[in-house]
Amino acid sequence: MPIGVYICHCGLNIAGVLDIEKLSSYAEKLPDVVIARDIPFTCSDLGQEQIQKDIDEYKLDRVVVAACSPRLHEPTFRRAIAKAGLNPYMLEMANIREQCSWVHMEQPAMATQKAQDLIRMAVAKAALLKPLESETMPVSQEVLVIGGGVTGIQASLDLADAGFHIYLVERRPTIGGFMALLTDVFPTNDCSICVLAPKMSDVFNHPEITLITYAEILSIDGSVGNFTVTGIKKARYVDEKFCRGCINDCASVCPVEVPSEYDFGIGKRKAIYVPYPQAVPLVACVDTKSCIGCARCVEACSADAVKFEQEPQDFKFTVGAIIVATGWQAFDAARKEEYGFGRYKDVITTLQLERLLNSAGPTKGDVVRPSTGQIPQSIAFLQCVGSRDAAIGNIYCSRICCMATLKNAQLVKEKYPDTDITVYYLDIRAGGEGYEEYYIRAQKLGINFVHARISRIEEVKGNLYMNYEDPDTGRFKRVSYDLAVLSIGLEPDQGAEVIGNILGLARRSDRFFEIAHPKMRPVEAHIDGVFIAGCASGPKEIQTSIAQGGAAAAKAIKLLQKGEINLEPTGAYVNQDYCTQCKLCVDVCPKRAIILKSPAYVDEAACNGCGSCAAACPMDAIGMRLYSDEQIMAEVKAATEEKSEFPLIVAFLCNWCSYGAADLAGVSRIQYPTNSRNIRVMCSGRVDPIFIMEALRYGADGVLIAGCRLGECHYVKGNYQALQRINVLKGVMEKVGINSNRIKIVWCAASESEKFAKELKEFVEELKLIGPIGTEIRADKKRVLAP
Amino acid sequence: METDKKFKQEIVQQTGTEVLTCIQCGTCSASCPTSHLMKPSIRRLIKLVLEGKKEEALDSCTIWLCTSCRLCNVRCPRGIRPKALVDALKNLCEREGRETGKDQAYEEIFLRFIKDYGRVSELPLSGEYIFIHPEAAVGAMRVGLELIQKGKLTLMRDKIKRTEEVKKIITELEKA
Repeated sequence: MPIGVYICHCGLNIAGVLDIEKLSSYAEKLPDVVIARDIPFTCSDLGQEQIQKDIDEYKLDRVVVAACSPRLHEPTFRRAIAKAGLNPYMLEMANIREQCSWVHMEQPAMATQKAQDLIRMAVAKAALLKPLESETMPVSQEVLVIGGGVTGIQASLDLADAGFHIYLVERRPTIGGFMALLTDVFPTNDCSICVLAPKMSDVFNHPEITLITYAEILSIDGSVGNFTVTGIKKARYVDEKFCRGCINDCASVCPVEVPSEYDFGIGKRKAIYVPYPQAVPLVACVDTKSCIGCARCVEACSADAVKFEQEPQDFKFTVGAIIVATGWQAFDAARKEEYGFGRYKDVITTLQLERLLNSAGPTKGDVVRPSTGQIPQSIAFLQCVGSRDAAIGNIYCSRICCMATLKNAQLVKEKYPDTDITVYYLDIRAGGEGYEEYYIRAQKLGINFVHARISRIEEVKGNLYMNYEDPDTGRFKRVSYDLAVLSIGLEPDQGAEVIGNILGLARRSDRFFEIAHPKMRPVEAHIDGVFIAGCASGPKEIQTSIAQGGAAAAKAIKLLQKGEINLEPTGAYVNQDYCTQCKLCVDVCPKRAIILKSPAYVDEAACNGCGSCAAACPMDAIGMRLYSDEQIMAEVKAATEEKSEFPLIVAFLCNWCSYGAADLAGVSRIQYPTNSRNIRVMCSGRVDPIFIMEALRYGADGVLIAGCRLGECHYVKGNYQALQRINVLKGVMEKVGINSNRIKIVWCAASESEKFAKELKEFVEELKLIGPIGTEIRADKKRVLAP
Repeated sequence: METDKKFKQEIVQQTGTEVLTCIQCGTCSASCPTSHLMKPSIRRLIKLVLEGKKEEALDSCTIWLCTSCRLCNVRCPRGIRPKALVDALKNLCEREGRETGKDQAYEEIFLRFIKDYGRVSELPLSGEYIFIHPEAAVGAMRVGLELIQKGKLTLMRDKIKRTEEVKKIITELEKA
């Protein structure tokens, strides 16, 4: 196994501090090393050609480059050795610039010693490298869109226009979501259905969109590129092929009337119904909960479309990506008991007012008091009902209610100028293009704004009384209104919970789906190939929902357009002989890449190679192709082989944040002690407690584990898993008599180089006080032996 | 008045840090059954604490008018417990030996009733109290008559079954 070692001068960046000649003659004597050279600039064409020439001449089968950070030039050297016919993964780098020469400029001797150790570690690891082949996997070019609201509609249309086939699955009998039921919408007061209906019919007519309404998804298996979806299309007892959407031969003879969910309870519908005239598909549907089976509709339908014998239909298909656009549900206003919704007829919700204002609504656009049917002379709008309220568990702002109220108040005021309108608010949140102007318009129309929160609504003799304290004067007020409108907040759709569980989506504390990064990845889920758009990830106005639908579509196109995806050969694999099916790995995997069949296996398309499963597996049945247990152990062993200074620290740094912080410390020339021997791992969750124990056993005085800041892990919660394991390990160490402060765990972002240096300095001081490894055990023995 | 940081810190610590998130919406005071008697209102009392105005906060009658119904706790949209704030202020008054707004005579009679009978009977209690403080008679009579008319006053002395157990609890507490 001939290894070539190349030590880079990097001009004076490395050679100005380290004794390159000493390093090179040291490297020559390491096992398996057949050639060690120092090169002024290894990354230059000249340097690369030298390596390629040596591979040929010395028949090298692996290469160690001691130079800058692998985060900078690992791809360069991988390409270089690949050109010479080696497998690109047969390269190992020793970081002697950012993490050595640049940070120990005043201690050249110690720095050279550290560099020797780092090269020895790299050679030891290189001996265990295995060639890895990256593979490509064919992917389905079909996409599942869950939810047929405006977000799902936009995503479907964008994808279908780009040539992808779409399955749009909607739970209700029609697509259109909430937007189809609203009256005019802010900030332009254009009619909601007028702008949405053309998109709805585009979906219906698009040759690349398979529309499946009145359906539920039952299971989703597989991973990015190849998800298998099954579901059931409920029986609507009306044949979609025959129903002409005549509105309403069937419903007009139906004797059953129930409150309509499409009017939020203020209007009525029959047991057989078309949700609204613009419904897509324009097909009637029988509500089996209220149908009494009289079959009058069967007789009335001239198209013979009503089929009581209709059965639910299963469906199954394979898609490459999934867009979750499950939307929201309205806060149940009856939960705020002090406002009397459900008890007092004249207390209504925003959504009910939307229907009253809608010319296609139950009152044909007249705003009336439900108790009397008269036009109200005074209306109170109550903001933040079900939002920003810890008492009912929703502390978040629902973001759209302020604007919705401004809009509805304007519409009412324009229609009934004599009606007195007051908005009771905590803050008016009108952030958006044209929104503040919209607020000013409402004020100029003569709508009153009172900065107060209503504590209670009372109904006395048919009049509603609002009770509140006027914060300006401190006076308690009790004001009478004809109608009270509760500005209800948005909550995540309850039905979406099932989808979330099927897909393994994470949820925030506000119960909406969590996106992969709160800023940088707004429409991606933690699961590869799954995208989240619209209100599924939090309350949003129509404009933003449409933008997110389009963004999710673009992300899906980027993923699937080549027809195949590259699989990095860096993932985990299961040694099936050892697996006891304990499921620990399934629970820790952030990507749901491990499937527990008998035994467990890793879906390599979904695996991102964090290695937390390998650390969790109690049987050591899970291996990693890159950063394998053997390779890391070899580094640990090599780091402690020559104990060149005290205290000697073996440090495990996560690739994304803390290794980056250590590199940045170099770039910023932040000086810190030379005591640490850094080992790069993909995630702090990769650090198996056995690595730590072995490092201490081999003679390290302390072990440092550094990961991303809690809550910012590249693999969602790898650092929490590391923390948990290390806390357990510390307990064990105390029991066997080793000072648990020999293990230190720190969290630093890639930008926190100062923090990294500071923590390391502190650790060195702490370890100096504790003493060399074994001190406490020897002291303990003495105590036991002493009479 | 000068702000008192230590005072604020202490009250916040006992009330919970939620109190720092108060948005002065007035839900607490508008929900409070005795707020029309309070000065300042419970909302303004919170503001005084957050501004560190110790003297004003402790001198207010507000904390002594709280009936402990906890409607403020239940309704606060920020999860603040104004009742806990009131308790913290009361404790501070007591500790600093300030005038507590408590009526020594009344409390003694009240406690004795509980100790002896496990229950308070309004009429005998008022009788004893008026005996010590005859000047309270006029007000008490007026309210009393109204209550009797509505059948809200028990005329007889009421007693629970196992008074010795209540007595034990109170004796233990007094020891502590």
